[in-house]
Amino acid sequence: MTAVLLAPSAPPVDAPVRPARRHRFLPVAVLLVLLIAAHAWNLADQPFPNDDEGAYISQAWAVQHGQLAHYTYWYDHPPLGWIQLAVLSWPGQWLLPGLPALVHGRIAMLVVLAITLLLVYTVARRLQGTRWTALLAMAIAGLSPLALSMQHQVYLDNFAVMWLLAAFALALSPRRHLWQHVAAGMATSFAVLSKETIAIAVPAVIVALWQGSHPSTRRFSLAGFFSGMVFTASLYPLYAALKGELFAGEDHVSLIGTLAFQLHDRAGTGSVFVPGTEAHELLMSWLGNDPVLLIGGLAAAVAGLAVRPARAPALAVLLLVVVALRPDGYLPKMYIVQLVPFLALSVAGIATAVVIRTERGFGSALVTTALIVTGAIALTGWPVTGARMLTESTNDGYMAASRWLREEMPVRPGQRTIVDGVLWVDLVRAGHAPGLGAIWHYKIDLDPAVQRTLPGGWRDIDYVVSTPAVRGEAAQLPTLAGALAHSRVVATFGAGDGRIEVREVLTTTR
Amino acid sequence: MISFLAIFISVILTASAALTMWWMLHAWRTPETLHATRFSAPDGEQRMSFSLLVPARMEENVLAATVTGLLQSTHRDFEILVIVGHDDPGTAAIAAELARDHPDQVRVITDTNPRKNKPKALNTALPHCTGEIVGVFDAEDEVHPLLLEHVDHEFRKTRADVLQGGVQLINFHSSWYSLRNCMEYFFWFRSRLHLHARMGFIPLGGNTVFVRTEVLRENGGWDQDCLAEDCDLGVRLSTRGKKFAVAYDAVLVTREETPGSIKALVKQRTRWNQGFLQVLRKGEWKALPTLRQRLLARFTLTSPFIQAFTGAVIPVGILAGFLLDVPDGVALITFLPLLPTLTMLAFELAGLHEFGGQYGVRVRAGHYAKLIAGLPLYQLILAVAALRSVWRESTGRGDWELTHHVGAHLRLREDT
Repeated sequence: MTAVLLAPSAPPVDAPVRPARRHRFLPVAVLLVLLIAAHAWNLADQPFPNDDEGAYISQAWAVQHGQLAHYTYWYDHPPLGWIQLAVLSWPGQWLLPGLPALVHGRIAMLVVLAITLLLVYTVARRLQGTRWTALLAMAIAGLSPLALSMQHQVYLDNFAVMWLLAAFALALSPRRHLWQHVAAGMATSFAVLSKETIAIAVPAVIVALWQGSHPSTRRFSLAGFFSGMVFTASLYPLYAALKGELFAGEDHVSLIGTLAFQLHDRAGTGSVFVPGTEAHELLMSWLGNDPVLLIGGLAAAVAGLAVRPARAPALAVLLLVVVALRPDGYLPKMYIVQLVPFLALSVAGIATAVVIRTERGFGSALVTTALIVTGAIALTGWPVTGARMLTESTNDGYMAASRWLREEMPVRPGQRTIVDGVLWVDLVRAGHAPGLGAIWHYKIDLDPAVQRTLPGGWRDIDYVVSTPAVRGEAAQLPTLAGALAHSRVVATFGAGDGRIEVREVLTTTR
Repeated sequence: MISFLAIFISVILTASAALTMWWMLHAWRTPETLHATRFSAPDGEQRMSFSLLVPARMEENVLAATVTGLLQSTHRDFEILVIVGHDDPGTAAIAAELARDHPDQVRVITDTNPRKNKPKALNTALPHCTGEIVGVFDAEDEVHPLLLEHVDHEFRKTRADVLQGGVQLINFHSSWYSLRNCMEYFFWFRSRLHLHARMGFIPLGGNTVFVRTEVLRENGGWDQDCLAEDCDLGVRLSTRGKKFAVAYDAVLVTREETPGSIKALVKQRTRWNQGFLQVLRKGEWKALPTLRQRLLARFTLTSPFIQAFTGAVIPVGILAGFLLDVPDGVALITFLPLLPTLTMLAFELAGLHEFGGQYGVRVRAGHYAKLIAGLPLYQLILAVAALRSVWRESTGRGDWELTHHVGAHLRLREDT
């Protein structure tokens, strides 16, 4: 009989390619230990704490005590980021109870960083096949001065980018198993539930899934991916709906209301192209820290769209960059954390493409030279910035203040102390009542539940722990300004703009 | 207490729905699995002989077309045994005419049992079979001419005792429920049955099933008192360690039609459910060698009822989540069973797309919309059929509710 073609023809099914097992993990392990050591070295001393770190550490504390936030949870971000922080910081709190809360938080971030770096390696291997480019991507992602300065800070973006990389790794798995593609969707939604801004980069995961799936099962892979993503993410608005807090209304917080505020009403940071705006200043500081990766990586991303090994991460870079460049948006300081791993993957992808072409005999001398020059600049520029990151200490004042608050400060019942987010948990651990005894400065004039307990305004306050974050907000918060104005210094830690003063408020009604 | 109950039921339902979904998606797990579900290309040799049984009861409309279709087979060694009732002269006349026209290939077997059903008809014909392999087809089946040749090769390649070929409802355009019905078949034969074959426990389908004649005779043929004699045969042969193969190919599937009305669908589903219940109560599956097989058997045979229960309980759980005074976390958990259900819906949409591609039919946006919109009502129909089967079984009504065939799938073939 004649052979018949029985079904629409699909490309042949190849057995998945498995790299040789011998010595596969040793270089990765060594590099990982080196990178983590570099971050751990100056963990507490650098960089200067950001009050957002304090907010997340405090909210993680609240999660450990059965609440979503230490004040009313107002859907400022989905809570998954600090839920993870609560879990990851617990071992450190248990083993090393004498450390400041900030350090507990940053130790937890080392775990996130380690997973992120391993995922960068995995994604690079799955996209590019060669081990040395994967190691290159991992090294760039961990050693760039931008990484060294921000990746062990307690930001939600670190969790988000870790989950997005996990989604990439699952989508690109050589096994092409349906559960991996469903899990990739779930990981994507975990990323978004950790920090919503990463949703911008979701199309890049879809490109990765397209590359990682087989034509014969792709429909189901896509259906599984979208189901995993959408239905997991929907638990967040569902939670809000069940609490009656989905839509804006009188006298209650709401998911939609907060979102509208963040998208429309919040003051933007201006355009990155206009000198003098916050966004421009931020860009300049990023460029000052690591021009090589920012410019080289962006160039690699533009070129990377054209080559398969770099396409998906390149798309992630370009999407994130385009959104950051919009004229009057809000550009947060930690935004760059989401970009760094994808910049590194784009560079590694381009490197792979160049090498493959060179091996095939039509190598482009120009690109190779550009890569070597860029590498050389990185090698000379990075150690200088890196050395500063590894030796400079900016946080002695914070560390000393934390110790004083926990060991020296008097605690009386009913005492009210204004403190920034970074030191809030330290104060609570010292026995101050969370919320209304230890008061996060940010809430003093903005949370009606706090205001109600202070009928006398600043006169009801006993102490202010004045940190740069507290002083910076005083202009917008009258009660805080009043307390600062009518107080005397009890103790000072550090000097200059970064100094921390514990101030006793002098006129009280009691 | 309410919270505890809500969590308990929600978690159980979610787990069972997720497990069912996972099994339904078996074939698409990896490209390699999907590839393995197909018939392998035949080697051009024909070594087996076939006896094809076609029980026909009140089937004047379709019998001639079906038998003529079977006669188109490219295999050279097969006989067709049409089984008609002694009280059904209309069908018998058509069968006799067919036998007269093709004396070497078609024989008529008359079933003289006073109360008739399909297993009795099949058992009546079994002693007359001369082929090495018995194949069963229904009177309304549309069978591909190349099927036997592939089955011949598959038997030799896999050394199986039983081979289940694909059966597919085709007239998805007929109505909203036929669309859903088609998708059920697609997921069952395209995917799930392969898992059962691999696990060594299989509820066989009613047709396009091929069994070695000696194996059938050794095991006493079909159970005449069971409403799901096909499922029962699969379970019995599973417990005896027989080897199963399942192969599916869009070109080679046996094409069938969906029941012509919702009433007929409920009747048909009631019969299957009741049959599953009977097989469950017979308890032969308890003799399966491994615990995994026994769990799969118990779960598969009860799944129509779990499915019906899930369909009924999900809305109740969600209402409870909103209305009852339970903690937010608990209310969230009452929504969990919805997630696998909606995920399965997404996979059904993907399945419909693939169905359209494989069968070369145009699936329009309206069909996808119908597939989504039809889900709750279809669940309701399944729940009614499940309840009805439990009621009939517990009141001892074991008679055979016949499904009437009009040949809608045959017309579709002419249309396309």
